[in-house]
Amino acid sequence: MATLSAAFASWKPAASFINQTKGLTYPAKVASIGTSRLNFPSSRSSRLHIRCAAKPEIVNKVLEIVKRQLALSNETSLAPESKFSEIGADSLDTVEIVMCLEEEFSISIDEDNSQNINTIQDAADLIDQLVQQKTEVA
Amino acid sequence: MLPSNLVARRLVPFALPSLPSAPLPSPREAHLWCVKPDELKDASLLQEYMKILSPCEKENVLSVKGEVLQKCALLSRVLVRTTLARCLWIEGLSSGCLFHARLDTDYRINPRSFKFKKNRFGKPEVEWQHNDVSFLPSLQFNVSHTSSLIACGITVNDPIGIDVEEKQRRPNADVLSLASRYFSPPEVQYLKSLVDSDSQKIEFIKLWTLKEAYVKALGRGFSGAPFRKFTIRFETRGDLVSEKLKTGEFRIAVEPVSDHETLTANWQFALAEITGSHFAAICMGIDENDTGKEHDLLKLKVWKTLPYMEDECLSDSEAVIKISGLS
Repeated sequence: MATLSAAFASWKPAASFINQTKGLTYPAKVASIGTSRLNFPSSRSSRLHIRCAAKPEIVNKVLEIVKRQLALSNETSLAPESKFSEIGADSLDTVEIVMCLEEEFSISIDEDNSQNINTIQDAADLIDQLVQQKTEVA
Repeated sequence: MLPSNLVARRLVPFALPSLPSAPLPSPREAHLWCVKPDELKDASLLQEYMKILSPCEKENVLSVKGEVLQKCALLSRVLVRTTLARCLWIEGLSSGCLFHARLDTDYRINPRSFKFKKNRFGKPEVEWQHNDVSFLPSLQFNVSHTSSLIACGITVNDPIGIDVEEKQRRPNADVLSLASRYFSPPEVQYLKSLVDSDSQKIEFIKLWTLKEAYVKALGRGFSGAPFRKFTIRFETRGDLVSEKLKTGEFRIAVEPVSDHETLTANWQFALAEITGSHFAAICMGIDENDTGKEHDLLKLKVWKTLPYMEDECLSDSEAVIKISGLS
């Protein structure tokens, strides 16, 4: 993933700069160096993408669904920056979370595009974008 | 970092004993080493385990949130390193050999000495050092974990993917909905054909582990082999079609993903039940030049371990129940 400074260094106008291919990663149960749940990073993940942060109510709903799926108590602190790979979500948890999110927001998260979601915030941002796209089309 | 529920019982410095060796896997054979995180209760042992890790691994373990998950992350790395080290020891090396630097006094590889890298899709592999290549067999490995069991499968040469899952795992969502969303149509039909919902859930979990094992064996990531685009089938062996088949006679097959890369290996599967509590699915890429018969089944040996403390061979006991694909 490119840093913001690199993004500005090669600034181009318009929509082509915004990466449309986003989606949830499905962490396979593989231990890589250290982390207990890790994604296989895509070889395509070097594309730049710029996102606007999702509305707080979307973030909260994602947090709620993730907590429910992972059976975390309400007292458990789960931050939007929490990585799926670090909170004990295995691949089956992840697909269940995806399905819940799809039902909750009436969207479709295409697994072919699912590469760059690492944190809860990433998921919320994608949902926000998909919901907006749906509203625009309607 | 020490979990608060562990107690440092030892009053004297604790040093790890030497790691017992283990045989190399034979052709078409996988070795599965399993550890149950609940069995790690000793804080001094945990500290010693941390010393086996590379600095980068230590940092990653410490960044995992929560004591239980941290312990699993630590055990996962320890399991990989010790499993590989057990099989690799060299007799009678000359003192001029550069390889000596990696060896403990009895010519065993020090588990700390392994380096790891990822293939271009992110699958972890051993990064063999320059001098290793002429001495050491090409060990392939793959790791899987649940909160209650961590497993590391190894082979010589053959790409391997494994997945373990608790037998009692019941998805929150309806399994037919999950299958319709994620599995291929023939697999959905198979699940729908099962009479009771508990069988559906159990077969769903079995299919899930087999599909995961395949994707991990391919080593191209979840998006490299989307679940919808391949079918896992339980099929009968051609020569036994007319007889009533016992469960062990079934062979598990995959309809290949349409990509020329995957056709160079013959992907074979095995499914077993471990310690009455977990399903373990193994997928191996058998070289097409392998001289075995096409329908030869895979072989599996299983150990339960608390590295450096205790090893227990589970093969040929009730703790390992072969379900499919195994001789």
